Amino acid sequence: MSNSNEKMSTTTRLRLSGLVLSILLVLLSVIGVATKGLNFGLDFTGGYLTEFTTAVPISEAELAKKISYYHHDDFTLSAQSSQHFQLREAEQASTSPWLATLTQDETLGAEVLSSSYLGSQVGDELFEQGCLALFAAMVAVMIYLALRFEWRLALGSVVALMHDVVVVVGLFAWLQLDFNLTVLASLLAIIGYSLNDSIIVGDRVRELLRLDSTTQQASVNTVINESIKSTLTRTLITSGTTLATVASVWLLAGAPLQGFSIALFVGIVVGTLSSICIAATLPQLLGLRHENYQVKVDEQSQALMDMP
Amino acid sequence: MLKNSSKKPQLQRFKISYMAMFLALVLLALSALPNLYPAKSWLHLSTTQSQQHSQQLLANTPSQKSVIDFLNQHGFLVEQSIQVAQNSLSLNVLLQEPTKSAAAQQALKSEFTQLNAKIVTHQTSPDWLQSLGLAPIKLGLDLNGGVLFVLDVDLVKAQQEQLDSAYEQTKTIIRDEKARGVRVQKNAHGFELHALPAAKSDLAVVQANVLKRFERLMATAHSQGNLTTVAFSFSEQGSNAFDKEVMSQTLTTLRGRIEELGITEAVTQRQGKQRIRIELPGVQDPSEAKRIIGATASLDFYQLKEIGGKTFNLQNGGSINLDPIAIFSGQHINNAHAGRDEWGKPLVQLSLDSQGGEAMSAFSKRNIGKPMATVYSEYYKNTKGEVVKKSEVINVANIAQHLSSQFSITNMQSPQAAQDLALLLRAGSLTAPVTIVQEQTIGPSLGADNIHNGLAALMLGMGITLAFMALWYRRLGLVANIALLLNLTALVGLMSLLPGVVLTLPGIAGLVLTIGMAVDTNVIIFERIKEERRKGRAPYQAIEQGYQQAFATIFDANITTMITAIILYGIGYGPIKGFAITLALGLITSVFTGVYVSKALSQTLYLKLANKRGARA
Repeated sequence: MSNSNEKMSTTTRLRLSGLVLSILLVLLSVIGVATKGLNFGLDFTGGYLTEFTTAVPISEAELAKKISYYHHDDFTLSAQSSQHFQLREAEQASTSPWLATLTQDETLGAEVLSSSYLGSQVGDELFEQGCLALFAAMVAVMIYLALRFEWRLALGSVVALMHDVVVVVGLFAWLQLDFNLTVLASLLAIIGYSLNDSIIVGDRVRELLRLDSTTQQASVNTVINESIKSTLTRTLITSGTTLATVASVWLLAGAPLQGFSIALFVGIVVGTLSSICIAATLPQLLGLRHENYQVKVDEQSQALMDMP
Repeated sequence: MLKNSSKKPQLQRFKISYMAMFLALVLLALSALPNLYPAKSWLHLSTTQSQQHSQQLLANTPSQKSVIDFLNQHGFLVEQSIQVAQNSLSLNVLLQEPTKSAAAQQALKSEFTQLNAKIVTHQTSPDWLQSLGLAPIKLGLDLNGGVLFVLDVDLVKAQQEQLDSAYEQTKTIIRDEKARGVRVQKNAHGFELHALPAAKSDLAVVQANVLKRFERLMATAHSQGNLTTVAFSFSEQGSNAFDKEVMSQTLTTLRGRIEELGITEAVTQRQGKQRIRIELPGVQDPSEAKRIIGATASLDFYQLKEIGGKTFNLQNGGSINLDPIAIFSGQHINNAHAGRDEWGKPLVQLSLDSQGGEAMSAFSKRNIGKPMATVYSEYYKNTKGEVVKKSEVINVANIAQHLSSQFSITNMQSPQAAQDLALLLRAGSLTAPVTIVQEQTIGPSLGADNIHNGLAALMLGMGITLAFMALWYRRLGLVANIALLLNLTALVGLMSLLPGVVLTLPGIAGLVLTIGMAVDTNVIIFERIKEERRKGRAPYQAIEQGYQQAFATIFDANITTMITAIILYGIGYGPIKGFAITLALGLITSVFTGVYVSKALSQTLYLKLANKRGARA
């Protein structure tokens, strides 16, 4: 191992530059959310959404023009493919006969796949509940971490998971992707996943600090580098297989899960980054020492280890 | 786990735990088995059974052949049909494309009015599996196709109605008790009684009477000068109890209505404080269901009142004064059928339950020759979006004779109105107005697409993971892959076994995600084993150590995901709930297979190898 006391090792340098990258990403995301805002889906805004196919391919603009003949309210038409469209209307939209006209138009051969209506009141409630769920998940997880780890490590993990959530939300703002209930669910899954990574690194840091504390040979920096190195294979393999499965959902599971899988994919990538650059680095910057883990082999974790 | 096992020799001890593990896996695999046999929807056709009409019906019952020919001609190709009963028409039909069943049902209904068509899902798994009570995972609407409604129950309005009724009855109580000094007046939270000191005893009597009739109300008295005021409003407890009662009554009524519509596998459940979620799998056209489910029509029967009373509008203009208290109301109606009178005008035939019958009998006996009014009430939304109750007198008839529990209401506007009213009366009326706040229709082809796409994603994700693990870890990878396959089997088995677990499209995504993440458990352990091996431990010890050391980490990592899954389950609805369930159950099965099963597997693998090669390691 390189002599990390005098000069910064490559690992440390990578770690710190990763931290800077993460801070930049968060700033970028905040700017994105502040300037562009989120493109909320039907789940949160309420309104009507109709999904239909046509027998013959037609361009989006052409179809929109066709529909606007007998639809006088605002509507948004989006094409999934040249024969597969989605039309979204506000809740106040008058029940214009556009759909009936469209399905009766024989040159088009339109067929309705699904239609949804959601009252805006329900949308607001769902949004509130979603935010509450995110908040509750973070608080519950923080409590668990505080019990389980020393506060510096716990804080590192929490900051890492907030980073992941913020970056994913930021991406959705920049790309103006549909932010709906399934995306929110994937944010919660990201919280779980991001912690998973952070905990494994943190666990190793704790373990090595404990083993090391009697002799005090290695600096905290070395211990953290060592922990990251020894868990890197695992982190990469697990992230890799999970990314592969999420990518297959993205590719094959179709439009309804598109947002969900994009959010998860990005969440896993930044989650892996943050588990190394934030969850492991922040405690060091906050002054993690060997003494923090002396003899304090907390009983409950010992009990947990003995459980099987 | 087993207390006395510690005394037994090592080998025997893990044999017992192996047996338990094996048993659990076999059981879960068994319950996963029915999923290989997808259920099929059959059409159940039978003639509408009603005792009075059976004679005349039998004459124009369509023959079995005509029904099948009709189906074949209209593009619903019949694959199989089974006759159930001999004398009357009772037929089970399987279409070549079962997704068209709903459309076929609709077509049959309009062609053969006497026919009762229901869509029933039949299991196709072998009988021995069915006799064990094992069934495939229930599919959510996004996979099955169907209609979803979320209704908002206006509890505030229901309480208001209850207070209005209490107010009207209080007026009657005051009259009956001859409490002349007591005045009743509405206020913001209900109504209040005013009395001067002279009428204090009367006030007490009236108050006691009102509270006796309306247990949910509470009275608060205060005096201003020499005027005593007693205000009645819902007590907090009473208000909660009332809301609960309204909700459960609404649920019962809605279930009844859905059953009347011939939808057998509907899910009707409460969602939150004042919402009701209705899922109608297989239904394609929401308009009929919407008309019936959202309908608030109810019938009440009133006595006419010359002086005082409450003013009602007549259907064809004008108004009439009626006694504010109904003789009896729609909830005492047992059965109702639509029909026509001798001039061909639509009517609804009613039969009452014993309580309603008695009330009717007693009333009509006393009032022969006097008129009785039938009031049809319905809630509707006015232009401002407020829910308003509209009550109309549809019928005023002289009581010609002593009526019993069976009679009919004439003067219905249309046969459709008569039919709807009959259905609503059969299923019971709603005490609180409901509004549809969410509606979703998912076509059967979209559902089938979703299943197909979801499974394709699962296969691909699984394939990549299996291939990677096999290449990276070789022999241990084999263990991991077996554990992974067992994990999927156990998860599917667990989901089929637990009642109330529904597979949705996000649920499938959760399943795929679980596969990707389940590997994690094995990777953590294998990396540990490698490390232990580097330290110079023998393979068997390295495995033992690796599993033991990694457990705390695995436990930690999974518990946080579990926390988020539980929160998601508690807060989400529908598809999201499906995702949370798969995620949570997936964590349990992946720890089970990833830690316990794969430990047993790798130990056996290495033990055998060690035995074969002697003490090489």
